[in-house]
Order: sequence, then structure tokens, then C-alpha cells
Amino acid sequence: MSSTEAPERFEYLQSLVTEFQDTDSEEAKEQVLANLANFAYDPKNLEYLRELQVPDLFLDMLTEENENFVEFGMGGLCNLSMDPDCREVILQSGGISLVTNSLSNRREETVLSAVTTLMNLATPATRSQISEPGILQCMLRFSLAESPRLRNLAAVFLQDCCSEEQVRQAQQQMEGRQTAVGIPLPKA
Amino acid sequence: MKGAISSSTGEVYKHHEQRRVCISRPKYREGRKAKAVKVYTINLESRYLMVQGVPAIGVMTELIQLCALYGVVEEYRPLDEYPAEEFTEVYLVKFQKLTSARAAKRNMDEKSFYGGVLHVCYVPEYETVEDTRLKLQDRRSYIARAARKSSASSEAPTSSDKIPASRDVTSKIESTGEALSQSHYSEFPPLPLPPREQCSFRQKSHRRLVPTEDKMGTLHNAFFNVEQWQADSLSSNPTTSNREQDTEGRLGPNPGSGVRFIPRNTNLESRKRKVEESGEPAANISGENEPLIGPKLPEPAKLDMEDESLNTTVSLIRSTMKQVGSVPDLKRVEKKAKPRRRI
Repeated sequence: MSSTEAPERFEYLQSLVTEFQDTDSEEAKEQVLANLANFAYDPKNLEYLRELQVPDLFLDMLTEENENFVEFGMGGLCNLSMDPDCREVILQSGGISLVTNSLSNRREETVLSAVTTLMNLATPATRSQISEPGILQCMLRFSLAESPRLRNLAAVFLQDCCSEEQVRQAQQQMEGRQTAVGIPLPKA
Repeated sequence: MKGAISSSTGEVYKHHEQRRVCISRPKYREGRKAKAVKVYTINLESRYLMVQGVPAIGVMTELIQLCALYGVVEEYRPLDEYPAEEFTEVYLVKFQKLTSARAAKRNMDEKSFYGGVLHVCYVPEYETVEDTRLKLQDRRSYIARAARKSSASSEAPTSSDKIPASRDVTSKIESTGEALSQSHYSEFPPLPLPPREQCSFRQKSHRRLVPTEDKMGTLHNAFFNVEQWQADSLSSNPTTSNREQDTEGRLGPNPGSGVRFIPRNTNLESRKRKVEESGEPAANISGENEPLIGPKLPEPAKLDMEDESLNTTVSLIRSTMKQVGSVPDLKRVEKKAKPRRRI
């Protein structure tokens, strides 16, 4: 990163965050949010985005009514959470429970981002939280979904983020109940 | 059944559709190209691409040749089950690397091709579970490497900064804020990147391509065989571990940057290794039991001088030439060592 470019890049990102906070236009907010989420895909920007507290901004979006806000915010978290430092920030802000709640979102992209984000947030310290029976049962349902992307992600989650024993237990619990856990599958 | 079409509704997946371009952006964050509002994550990207709008005039070969400019193509096939506009075809193209697919999509989408306009999109629904897992792992290790590098050398200028494109940083940054089909990385040059370690491969593949209808089906295999051979030689190449860094923007002094040419002896050595491992008695012109290194030279035409003594002479000359030809390096070295005469 050249020394002349770095401050300009930071300033540009800062102006985006400022616009997001100041504007009343939902449309402008959506555009800026999408921009920030896309910037989060480039590792060069991660440090600046952390400084600008964008991880928290994305987390705040998960409880918004506007579905685009939720989708773009979750996409941003999916991108950010690949980075270990951003992951820590997200975990400290209670990211796991916020992201878990988004598993029941009706938009497929949001759910895909949520599953991927949860996988990214899996560390030795968080593994027990990530592999709670409720989440595992959700993933089991997803692994039977019609959507190939959701099926694949759920399969990777079940294989990589928990033990076979835990999966078995979750399966048994699901079968033992009379009514299925009411986490709906998202629309494609 | 795996496919690009939802089997319940019979409709195409939403993420294949082109969204309407956003027209309301304020100037400071207007990119060079009009884009829709879309967020790209690793889930949307894939090394599987779908190419629509290919004119149905028998240009599959040309299409795959174009794709191969951006990286090794592992598989390709027409997607007959996908709805296509009249007189056009749809193809599925699987690249060896995600970065190649990314470059191909960026450069081929919305481009004209034999009178039609191509629409290129990722089709991650064609991935297997293993494909998806590897995709995520690769992405994570790439980010981890990038994080390590940036903390190690945060002030060092990267080679990508010296790109002679526009020096307007703001506009470069803007382009990364848009939907990522254009560029994920602001220093990424707008020109298509040639496939790095496949330079020598490309020449081979072109030679093998015979553009006839009959051989269309076998072209795929031809590609695959060359790639297999190349892949074997590449696996011995330590720089392939940096494969994702090559085209994804250079994050620091990268020893693998620049065109990575595979020296011929690498391929020859791998072949030699293969032969030795398989324990085959290799054919040899001289009839000796040596492992064959390099392509077999065409045997010299058997010349019958119709006279025994002449034939003997011919074979003597031939064997002498072989002996002489077998010590080329020595000769060259000797030549170099010779002091120049000064007149």
C-alpha cells in the first residue's frame, strides 16, 4: 500500500460510513451498505473497516426491518469474518447469537451468508456455542434443502464444525419430537 | 438433480439474473461502469461459470479458447436444459481455479462474441460439497496470508501500485465499491491477466485443438490430458502454493509475480519421474534400456542405398552423428572457454 494512497482510501471509506449515518434516504443507505460489504471482500480494506467500526455497523443491520439491510449486512459480515481480527471483534459484540437468529431469514442469500459466517466464527473457544443442538438441527434441515448451495454449505458445516456424535444426538432429538422445530427454509 | 434451475418452480435461480442498473448514485461514489446494487460473498462466486448468449453457429471451440485465456478449463459442456434465447446456446465452464473464473467473468461478461452478447455468471450450484469446502478453505487461507503480509510490511509499496492505469485513486476505489464483477481490488488492472503458470500449456493446447465437428467431443479430453500432465509438473513447483495470490492482487513483494514460465526440463523431469515410478521399459531409438526423457525424436528414415557397402557407410555416419549429437553441452562450454582472438 503506497503511503499516498492509504489515507485517501481510509478517507473514502470514512465518507461512506458518514453518508450511511447521516442520510435519510433508504436507497442511499442500501447502496452505501452494499459498497461497504463489497469493500470488505478486499483484504486491503479490513484494517480501515475495523477502525471505522464497520463490523458493528453490519451487526446492527441484522435486526433491521429492511430486508436489504439485513442481506447486505450479513454479506458484509460473511466477508469480514474470514479475517481473524475482524472475527474477534464480531465475537466480542455477541455476533454468534445475532447471526444464528438470521438462520431463519426468508432470503436465501442472507441464510447462506449466515451459515458461512458461523463457520468462520468457529474457534476452539466458540465451538461449543456453534454446535448447539438448535443450530445443528437447523443445519440438518438445510442439508436436505432443495437449494444445492444451502445443502452444500450445511453439509460442510456438519462435517467441519461439530463431531459425528453431536450430529447424531441432534438427529435423535429431531426424530423424538412430535412437531418439527419451526425454522422455515428460505425461499430460493 | 443438480442444475441451474430450481426443480420445484422450474425457474432459473435469482442470482443468475442480471439486476437493473442503479442510476441514483451520487457522483463521488459513481463508478466508471454502471452497476446494479449487489453484494458479493464467497458463496456467490465459484469456479463454475455459465455463459449465455453464445450464438448457435458452432463456435464452442472458440468460446472455450477464449475462456482458456483466463486460466485452465477443467470441464465444459452445453447446458441444454437451461432456457436460452432463440439461436443462442448456454455453456457450463469449469475452471481449475476460482481466480481464473473471476477473471473470465469480469472480462467476458457483456462482451460481444460472434455477433451475440455474452452473459457470464457464476453457478455455484454446480459445486460438489468438496468443491464448496475447498473454496471456503482457499478463501480463508488467502485472507490469513494477506493479513500476515499486511502486518509484516504495511508500508512497503506493492507492485500493483505501479500499474500505469489512471492515477485517480478515488475512481479506482469507487470501482471496488460496486458489484464485484468488475474488480474486487482497486489496484487490479482492467486488462485480463494471462494464466500465469500455464503459458507453456496454452501453446500446447492450441496445437492440439482441431476445429472439426467430429473432434468436439474429444477436445474436452485433450484439454484434460494436457492439464493433468501440467498439473503433475506443477505440483512439484513450490510456487503453486501461492496460486491465489497471483491474480488476486499483489499484496506485497511476491516472488511468484510476473509470468511464471515453466521451464521445459520441469516437464521432462516429471515425465522421467513418472516413467521411473511406473517401471516401464522405455522405448529408445538406440535400443538401450534407458528411461526416455523428452519427446521421442522421429526415427531417421531408413535409407536403402541398394548397396551393402554404401548402407554400411550410411549407418556408420548415422552412429557417429548420434555420438556427436549426444555431447552438445560439452561442446558449447568449450566454445565459451575459448579465448577470443584479437586481430
